[in-house]
Amino acid sequence: MSSTTTQSGLARARRGVAPGGTGTVPGKRKSKLSAQATRTFFWLLLPSVVLLVLIHGYPLVYAAVQATHDGDLLQTGNFVGGQNFATVLTSPAFWKAAQFTLWFTIVGVFGSWLVGLGLALLLRTKIPGGGTFKVLLLLPWVVPIVVSSTAWNWLVATPDSLIPSLFRNLGMGTPLFLADPTLAAVTVMVFKVWVSFPFMMMMISAALASVDTTVYEAASMDGASRWQQFTQITLPLIARSTYISWILMTIFCVNDFPTIYLLTGGGPVNATTSLVVLAYRTVFQDFATGPGVAIAFLMTMTLVVISVILYRQIRKSSVE
Amino acid sequence: MNATSEQRRSFSRRGFLGLTAAAAAAPLLAACGGGSASQGGGGGAGGTIKFWDMPWATPAYNDAAKGIAEGFSGANGAKASYQIIQWNNFYQTFSSAIASKTGPAVSTGGGFQAFQFEQQGQIAYADKVIDKLKANGQFDDFLPGVLDPFKSAKGYVAVPWQLDMRVFWYRKSLFDKANVALPTDWPSLLEAGKALKKVGAFGFTTGAGAGNNYANHSMIMMMVNNGGGVWNKDGELDLMNDRNVEAMEFVLELVSNGIIDPAAVSYTTDNMSAQWKDGKAGYGLFQVNVPQRVGDTSGDLMVADPITGPHGDKATIVFPNNIMMYTNTPSQDASEEFLVYYLGQLKQLWQKKLMSALPVFKSITEMPEFANDPNNVKIVKEWQPIAKTFAAQGSTLNANLAALDGGQALNQFSQTIITGKADAKTALQTFQSGLESVLKK
Repeated sequence: MSSTTTQSGLARARRGVAPGGTGTVPGKRKSKLSAQATRTFFWLLLPSVVLLVLIHGYPLVYAAVQATHDGDLLQTGNFVGGQNFATVLTSPAFWKAAQFTLWFTIVGVFGSWLVGLGLALLLRTKIPGGGTFKVLLLLPWVVPIVVSSTAWNWLVATPDSLIPSLFRNLGMGTPLFLADPTLAAVTVMVFKVWVSFPFMMMMISAALASVDTTVYEAASMDGASRWQQFTQITLPLIARSTYISWILMTIFCVNDFPTIYLLTGGGPVNATTSLVVLAYRTVFQDFATGPGVAIAFLMTMTLVVISVILYRQIRKSSVE
Repeated sequence: MNATSEQRRSFSRRGFLGLTAAAAAAPLLAACGGGSASQGGGGGAGGTIKFWDMPWATPAYNDAAKGIAEGFSGANGAKASYQIIQWNNFYQTFSSAIASKTGPAVSTGGGFQAFQFEQQGQIAYADKVIDKLKANGQFDDFLPGVLDPFKSAKGYVAVPWQLDMRVFWYRKSLFDKANVALPTDWPSLLEAGKALKKVGAFGFTTGAGAGNNYANHSMIMMMVNNGGGVWNKDGELDLMNDRNVEAMEFVLELVSNGIIDPAAVSYTTDNMSAQWKDGKAGYGLFQVNVPQRVGDTSGDLMVADPITGPHGDKATIVFPNNIMMYTNTPSQDASEEFLVYYLGQLKQLWQKKLMSALPVFKSITEMPEFANDPNNVKIVKEWQPIAKTFAAQGSTLNANLAALDGGQALNQFSQTIITGKADAKTALQTFQSGLESVLKK
């Protein structure tokens, strides 16, 4: 079978069209909402809108006020315009934290996605005790982060902890996983991947479950290899859920406070200080509310931009 | 669809709307009615004094403190209620409660919290409490110097009730094994550290990991022990003085000799306690009641002698934890009455051995439950008289100290020093710049 024929077959397979099928998509039926239904929807939505405005709108406005004033947690202080933003944006600590946040997010999102994808595909095959494995693999996500960070601290904190001892016994020296700036950053990222992969695994498992197995049969008949089936059927078919999970995990990573704070406190010497940790420390340890809230605003804006880009990808993948 | 199902559908729609509206309105209604009733409900003319306390020790401490607070019965029928406030985000908890007028009338809290709220006009001065303590004889019972840091130009901002002292501890068996004498000054501290290293122990145990301030305290202690400190006598920032540089150069010498554990920069307090328990820590700055904290009451862990700096200075640092009163109270008289009552009952906490801090009253230090521990006696006799606050070389506490203690500038400084990442002057200069940027002018 030629390559063109295989590609065409794969495209048909992705659309869920078996060999010989026409692939005609039923026409969309336009529906018009009646005026009464519109009113009903309006009243149904109103309580949620009111609650959203109260729960999110008010704090957002208050935070904007704090970000433009030089007050503290109790008093608003004087209006300083964009000075807090200027202070933050010219601070080396901010850019160092931004850099760490970027790496933490990239490793957190794609690391957990790769591990989650691998395990989801593995669990798709029929293996004895698959359900038990699934439950066990969920544990890192289910266990409270305080417990898992304490466990990880116990594993790596001192030269006599389990993992440094293992390295020493293997003749690889005694790595100080939380005391060395580079190793501490790596440890925190690995910890994040470990905590997050079950979420990715569940998202991908759910997406894979909705893929009709006949699609693979069709592709097989068209001569597609396992790799071609993976890259040209599996990945495109789970693309929508992948983009959603990326958006969610990006938000989880950027806003992740406990994973970092409980394991390293942002140290050593700010090596693992992310933007959210920096914002917390600025507000609650330095009592500098304005700059701290300004950092939080900048984070929010960045997250909105990333989310919009990824949402566009979702729309694009839906159209395709 | 038949008539019944149509009715059912419209009913559930209306019902759903009603329920949602009720759910939306409930918090609003609750919020409208909450604030004013929060102070002074019940308790006769004196009202109910809301007393907020922190988890200073085990839960048994809070149970005992609750019993004391709720045992209060004021002259005008005033009563007291007790509430535990967790340390996590405690300043925010207090701030938001005070801002919404739902805060306490009297509380314990952060060491410098009273000064922060004083700046905002939320603190009721304790001068009348001091007068009452003078009248009932308790004033003369205070250990020397513990009350002075709380006296501002406008009056007493708070009243101390316990001292969180930093003292050097040592493991006797390790010193015996290393065949080295206890340090009495900086050169002998260096020698002891080198000897301890040979037996696999560290001679300057500390930690700067998540939530651990002992490295911060160790750095400031060494500065103060050399006649330096973060502030000068006028309370101005003075980090670059020669004594501080000398002290930090000495600590860097300890680092370069491997006397400070290279992993200490990431140690939590639990990691530090484990080092003490496992015989890896030979000597270092810690709090009161270390044997109980680390779970080794064999008598091998002992309080060391204070050491003398190269210029003859001898000092340590102390955090005088205090009780403060707020202007938002159902009755200021009742707040004062409650505070005098509570201070009078403190001895119960040490009698029941619930505290891991020093008392502020001489009479409590003389109680057998306290004095039977030779470590306690040594701390009161040798360390308390030389203890200085974080305000050293200044004398009065202030709100800026809150930004120093646990602030980013000090954390980064301590971590930089104990990892030996910069020379003393550079590290101090960065520390000074960091503090200047956050201190209120």
